[in-house]
Amino acid sequence: MGRRKKIVQECEKLMDKPEQIRNIAIAAHVDHGKTTLTDNLLAGAGMIADKGEATQLMMDTEEDEQERGITIDAANVSMTHEYEDRNHLINLIDTPGHVDFGGDVTRAMRAVDGALVVVDAVEGAMPQTETVVRQALREGVKPALFINKVDRLISELQEGPEEMQKRLTDVIGDVNELIRGMTEDMDDVDDWTVSVEDGTVAFGSALYKWGVSLPSMQATGMSFGDIIDLEQADKRQELHEKTPLSDVVLDMVAEHFPNPLDAQPRRIPRVWRGDDDLDIARQMREVDDDGEVVFMATDIGMDPHAGEIATGRVFSGTIKKGQDLYVSGTAGTNRVQSVGIFMGGEREELDRGVPAGNIAAVTGLRDAIAGSTVSSIEMTPFESIEHISEPVITKSVEAENMDDLPKLIQTLQQVAKEDPTIRVEINEDTGEHLISGQGELHLEVITQRIQKNQGIPVITGEPIVVYRESPQKQSREVEGVSPNRHNKFYITVEPLSEDIVEQIKLGEVSMDMPELERREALQEAGMDKDTSQNVEHIHGTNILIDETKGIQHLNETMELVIEGLEEALDDGPLAAEPVQGALLRLHDAKLHEDTIHRGPAQVIPATREAVHRALIDGDIKLLEPIQNVRIDVPSEHMGSASGEIQGRRGRVDDMFQEGDLMVIEGIAPVEEMIGFSSDIRSATEGRASWNTENAGFRVLADNLQRETIMEIRERKGMKLELPQSIDQF
Amino acid sequence: MLTFIGLGLYDERSITVEGRDALADADRAYAEFYTSHLVGATVEDLEAYHDIDIDVRDRAGVEQHPEDILDAAEDEHVVFLTAGDTMISTTHVDLRLRAVERGIETRLIHGVTAQSAASGLTGLQNYRFGKAVTLPFPYAHGADGVPKSVTESIEANRERGLHTLVYLDIKVGDTPTSSRNAERFGDKSDDDEYMTGDYAAEMLAEGWEDVLGVVVARAGGENPVVAADRLSALADREFGDPLHMLVIPGDVHHVEADALRTLGGAPDDVLAENEV
Repeated sequence: MGRRKKIVQECEKLMDKPEQIRNIAIAAHVDHGKTTLTDNLLAGAGMIADKGEATQLMMDTEEDEQERGITIDAANVSMTHEYEDRNHLINLIDTPGHVDFGGDVTRAMRAVDGALVVVDAVEGAMPQTETVVRQALREGVKPALFINKVDRLISELQEGPEEMQKRLTDVIGDVNELIRGMTEDMDDVDDWTVSVEDGTVAFGSALYKWGVSLPSMQATGMSFGDIIDLEQADKRQELHEKTPLSDVVLDMVAEHFPNPLDAQPRRIPRVWRGDDDLDIARQMREVDDDGEVVFMATDIGMDPHAGEIATGRVFSGTIKKGQDLYVSGTAGTNRVQSVGIFMGGEREELDRGVPAGNIAAVTGLRDAIAGSTVSSIEMTPFESIEHISEPVITKSVEAENMDDLPKLIQTLQQVAKEDPTIRVEINEDTGEHLISGQGELHLEVITQRIQKNQGIPVITGEPIVVYRESPQKQSREVEGVSPNRHNKFYITVEPLSEDIVEQIKLGEVSMDMPELERREALQEAGMDKDTSQNVEHIHGTNILIDETKGIQHLNETMELVIEGLEEALDDGPLAAEPVQGALLRLHDAKLHEDTIHRGPAQVIPATREAVHRALIDGDIKLLEPIQNVRIDVPSEHMGSASGEIQGRRGRVDDMFQEGDLMVIEGIAPVEEMIGFSSDIRSATEGRASWNTENAGFRVLADNLQRETIMEIRERKGMKLELPQSIDQF
Repeated sequence: MLTFIGLGLYDERSITVEGRDALADADRAYAEFYTSHLVGATVEDLEAYHDIDIDVRDRAGVEQHPEDILDAAEDEHVVFLTAGDTMISTTHVDLRLRAVERGIETRLIHGVTAQSAASGLTGLQNYRFGKAVTLPFPYAHGADGVPKSVTESIEANRERGLHTLVYLDIKVGDTPTSSRNAERFGDKSDDDEYMTGDYAAEMLAEGWEDVLGVVVARAGGENPVVAADRLSALADREFGDPLHMLVIPGDVHHVEADALRTLGGAPDDVLAENEV
């Protein structure tokens, strides 16, 4: 029997024993060594050859990932590990570290119960470390820490035991500060800070495949001094054999991460807002493999043979081939074609199905997108997985050959399904499709995939920044009249507070949750009681309040009111960019007696017009996306580096020394940051390392408003004159 | 001068003599057929019969852009045509008010309307009708299935012993489908569709299987059909070409009962439920 088959059999045996399962993710800042660590774990589990160096990256299956040396999509693998005489099934999801792919990280966290946070000992905790730790904690995922590249402290920086200890303590302190800040208000977790003493911290070198933790040192009898000696003497192979990284880390995983039986009772209420008393709620809490099937798809991948593969966590029941399952947000059911687990880049189909508590790979769920709830009975879907970053950059994509058009459209739709942080707009009339994402790299990777994997030659446009429109003050009451003039709607608009917008973005306030909870969350964020009781709809970060009382027929017209409102908000009045942060109040409505005369053709235009006029009266302005920028640079290049921020309508907020480098922190508009990477390289002779992170939207300076609006309108082929009532610039 | 002329129920000859004369005198004729439709005649038939060019407007051309109609009416004789009566079950009083606002003289020439046929053909007395409703196609309104306002109106009429005239939706290719409904039903914006009596009876039969209904088909045509039976039974029948409408009788007077039995073939056991 092949080794691989043996492992599959082992995994299969363990799948039914939730107390021996750990579902984990590895998350870190880009280049801190996640993928190398993963390969260590796989090698340790006997799944890839244990060669001298873990150079062949097992998890990076996409060609462009291996070329770039970074992981782009979350990939998945199952392995076994023996700890304290018990075998454990470890389902691992590798996550990308590049900030442009943050959506993948958030979704991966939904599927797991423990997050192994990897930090580079030399660089320390970085902005993206903070982001991934936040993403994990928000999902109720327990962290543990692995400090990587300790070999560099010893061999490159020649640090002694004391210096090293200080450095490691600092890293642990930074990570704990984050954990403490995030978990303080969570009453469902106790102390989740990590420490060497508890064994929730490990150190080592993923490159040279050795690692230590306090328990491992106690077991092997090796001291820190021994390790420094061996590393300095270049006896890394010996070090690896004496204290292999995979054992140390997997022991930590088995000991400290919760199994599904421990995790699900706590996590279900956090990620699912359905009725607690339902059977299905109990079955999910108890990880009942005989219960109804509940599966949450966290990732959709494409296999040239099998088609779409939905990967996700089975929270209840056993998902099996042939089942007809409901997919949230769509009508009817999908039939499961196959169910399996991941072994490296490949799937192993299992006819027996995959029971609750495991990560499964499922084909046949053609309606599922990343984030879908899939279940054997109709149920409240899981909280939508909100990723905080919204798309900020758009590129047009056109097929080079007209013949490829249908295939391109299909591929683009597929791309949007796989990665909900990507937004795709198909325009069949012009053939110029728009694809929006988190940053230049994000879009570059996606378009390259279309070219390479699908073999469709495409022409892409210059990257364009995505704007927002937002009201700045309260409007007067505006009347919207239907084309037949028999229906009228009275609307005001006012800006929503930043707190409320934030809560919506985080998914803490949504229409999916029970009304009472939503009301409380809104009140906590500062909304007054009466308003919070009348929330009718939330679209993007905008809220509609129904302040009407007892208007006959309004309830059956509301759906159309909402549709008109959504159209108005998707294409704002200034430049048809999305509206954000608007609180709309419907004060009154006058309706025709007969349904036919208050149908879509009447109500949609009436509300659309009313919303736009109210927004204009509320001094709507254009907002542009901004980024936090951090540059690490030798002090002699500090001036030119900070000049690169200031010269881009940016602002330097802080400059400080860290080790032998200067750190510059500031913000700059995304638009100006296009092309930053080559400019900063030439300004600093390539000595700067830098990092950006999307930081939301900011009102564009008044003197740029009109000009930018006109540029966008021209690009979109809109009329080049603004409604006369716009006089705010 | 703007004259509203009802074309009546069925074909080019359903117009009144007064309407025909006014049309003959007109300098310009506009028409809309999205609120109702003459089944027995095409626009060409009308043009030939009345010897005039007719500019047929879609909904936007009447509701959103009526300026040129009104401009023409400032100094010419302009007529505005619809099937049935121009002011019954339409919103054209708005167009009339716009004209009056501009100081244009207006005039109304009535046409025979479905309301009159519903009462006439079924023998149900016009005194005893309550609120009328339109039953829209499921994709053509904001709610699911049968709008609550429709069932509530029928219910309220029945409680008071009154009959309900149910107009059946017609859909001419200019009505946008709401995007939510387009997802569920497909985009219908270019289809022409007339709701049939059996389709309507089936929609309403849910929960009202044994309720008495009367389908009236092709009122004003040569062979109009009147069929009275349980809604569930009507749902299984076919009534031929459009247009159809449906009446849900309330309490029936003995002469009304006789009429439904004789003219509509109502079974005695069903009628008995409605007799007081």
